Amino acid sequence: MFLMILISALSICFISGNIAESLPRFEQPVLITSAGQSADVQIGGVLAKRAGLLATLSKNATRQELKDNKTLALVIGVSMKGLGAAGLDLDQEKTRVKELLEEAQRKGIRVLCLHLGGESRRGELSDQMIQIFLPYAQMVIVVKSGNKDGLFTKICEDKNIPLLEVNRASEAQKPLKDIFTQN
Amino acid sequence: MVVAAHPEAVKAGLSTLKKGGNAVDAAIATAFALNAAEPFASGIGGGGFMVIFLAKEKRATVINFREKAPAKANPSMYLDKENVQDIWRKSHGLAVAVPGSLAGWAYALEKYGTMKLEKVLESGIQIAERGIPVSQTFSQINKDEYEKILQNAGESSVYLHDGLPYEPGDVYRNPELAKTFKRLISHGWQDFYDGQIAQEIIEAIQRSGGIMKLEDLAQYSPIEQSPLEGIYKDYTIYTIQPPSSGGLHIIQLLNIISHWPVRDWGFNSTQYIHHLSEAFRFIFADKARFLGDPDFIEIPIEQLLSEDYASQIASRILPGHLQETYPYRTFDKNQIEKENTTHLGVIDSQGNIVSLTQSINDFFGSGIVPEGCGFLLNNEMADFSPHPDSVNSPGPYKRPVSSMGPLILFKKDLPFLVLGSPGGTRIFTSLTQIIINVIEFGMSLDEAIEAPRFFTYSSEGAAKSLFVESRIPPNILRSLEEIGHIIDVREAYDKYFGGAQGILIDRNRNILIGGADSRRDGSGAGY
Repeated sequence: MFLMILISALSICFISGNIAESLPRFEQPVLITSAGQSADVQIGGVLAKRAGLLATLSKNATRQELKDNKTLALVIGVSMKGLGAAGLDLDQEKTRVKELLEEAQRKGIRVLCLHLGGESRRGELSDQMIQIFLPYAQMVIVVKSGNKDGLFTKICEDKNIPLLEVNRASEAQKPLKDIFTQN
Repeated sequence: MVVAAHPEAVKAGLSTLKKGGNAVDAAIATAFALNAAEPFASGIGGGGFMVIFLAKEKRATVINFREKAPAKANPSMYLDKENVQDIWRKSHGLAVAVPGSLAGWAYALEKYGTMKLEKVLESGIQIAERGIPVSQTFSQINKDEYEKILQNAGESSVYLHDGLPYEPGDVYRNPELAKTFKRLISHGWQDFYDGQIAQEIIEAIQRSGGIMKLEDLAQYSPIEQSPLEGIYKDYTIYTIQPPSSGGLHIIQLLNIISHWPVRDWGFNSTQYIHHLSEAFRFIFADKARFLGDPDFIEIPIEQLLSEDYASQIASRILPGHLQETYPYRTFDKNQIEKENTTHLGVIDSQGNIVSLTQSINDFFGSGIVPEGCGFLLNNEMADFSPHPDSVNSPGPYKRPVSSMGPLILFKKDLPFLVLGSPGGTRIFTSLTQIIINVIEFGMSLDEAIEAPRFFTYSSEGAAKSLFVESRIPPNILRSLEEIGHIIDVREAYDKYFGGAQGILIDRNRNILIGGADSRRDGSGAGY
């Protein structure tokens, strides 16, 4: 059971039934990448697999990898350990993700942002990523404890982006299945 | 009193004391309970060190149960056409060293304890069967290590909740670990080294590409050693010998600091942070240059701990600028991001003390779990340098260098402070800061542990960034930048800087004061 908060500039709706029709639609295949190199991107990969999506997971994706994909799923969350393992610093990671998102915009590829790490994946560095990259999204899915202070709600309201809150990461599987057009 | 990184483990130690156990019994009960309640940081698949103070004999001793490399280890085992293969070092069968925890705990229990194995295992079994609510810390670490767990332990592992990381509030149970603990009672702890559990360990390691054999497990034995001793003003420190660098480096740092008016500079002042940071960089150069397994190389411990040497380093550190280089010889520039390991401390009613630090190296170790056994195998081989020319390169039965530094500080011959911390290479820099916070800045133990920390190091002779918790004021950070430090700001309470546990003995008030770090799930209790 997940709790949905669909936010637009004008309204906040709480819907717990069939939500598929009120949500934005995304197409497959989907490229899943990280913004911050936390292992949360792996959770995104497993959920996409369980949702039956045609998805490629590339933690450190480059613009070239966008080529045949119709959706970019960005899993936001900074891990210094993950950045270290990828040989990146925070600025390099921001540059990579920004280039990827700009390329997606140019190609008309829709962007889905996910924050799956909950409260423990918030903090100064993750918050920087959230503030910079969330506005590129056509939809945001967030584990509720990660939005306790309303940061996601505020950005999504300001930018008129639908926001879906789930109680735990595993509950993102169903909406992921619902929002993607089946091939 | 018992302090440890999880409240359930503290309860286990305390209940052992209440049943008449001594500090060693309680420490081992706490260690087994930590395996059940904080599985990601230590356990029977790992190793460590403990300092024991025997009150009646007025004597301290050290038990070294550090892991050892298997017989087939060799200096270039992590090179593939001259390129270091980090995966082999961290999440592969080649990453696993021969575990020492169980042999070390059993040795301590048999020689210095009063209870049988089944008694000290009771709480660990209960926790594993009943389960514990998952904390924010557990959940975050579980998420951080998800990829490794998924790859090595698999989606059905007890370390995952329906194949995904645990969320705070979920219940984590480990019936397989309870079964293993019961087997240790029915078949003896030696089953881990030469029985059915040993078979499962070797099969799991070899399935993951490792080279360990049954003979490697069978030959393992812990070592009892005299403690390493240092003096700072009125205080004497008893800690552990190499192959851990932690104890040695804490004494070196205190020796250097004794040349400076740190109390006048003030807590976390620009001068204080600058001077200590430079000292850290010199110490890291020594770590890379001299530290290895003393059974295989000569370590000039006397020289490194000499007054002359400390004086030389202190005089080279100048206010207002950084060194151009720090004297080094080898190539270690890894191991900086680790936050792992765990520490516990116990004092019993007779005044016996245990200060114990242990690890499976990275959080969730190698991620490899022997079939049906419920415990994680370490990836302690990653503590060797992958470079064949290093004094700390792998070799048959060598012990890798560690940064652990469990210690007991004495004030005028009486125990004053029991202290230790996890935190990889930040262990000895953080413990030094805590000791100085107490002795020089007059903080209570809790204040000293919670106070904002900093860390830096040198690699290949060059200064690295100065990592700071964000609570250090911006004006101090600006002045450090003006001196030339490159500042890397971390979270306000960042477990990157460790998770210290301590017990302070306040003789004026005749009380024991426990201190546990909010950077992890630390807890303390007494009666």
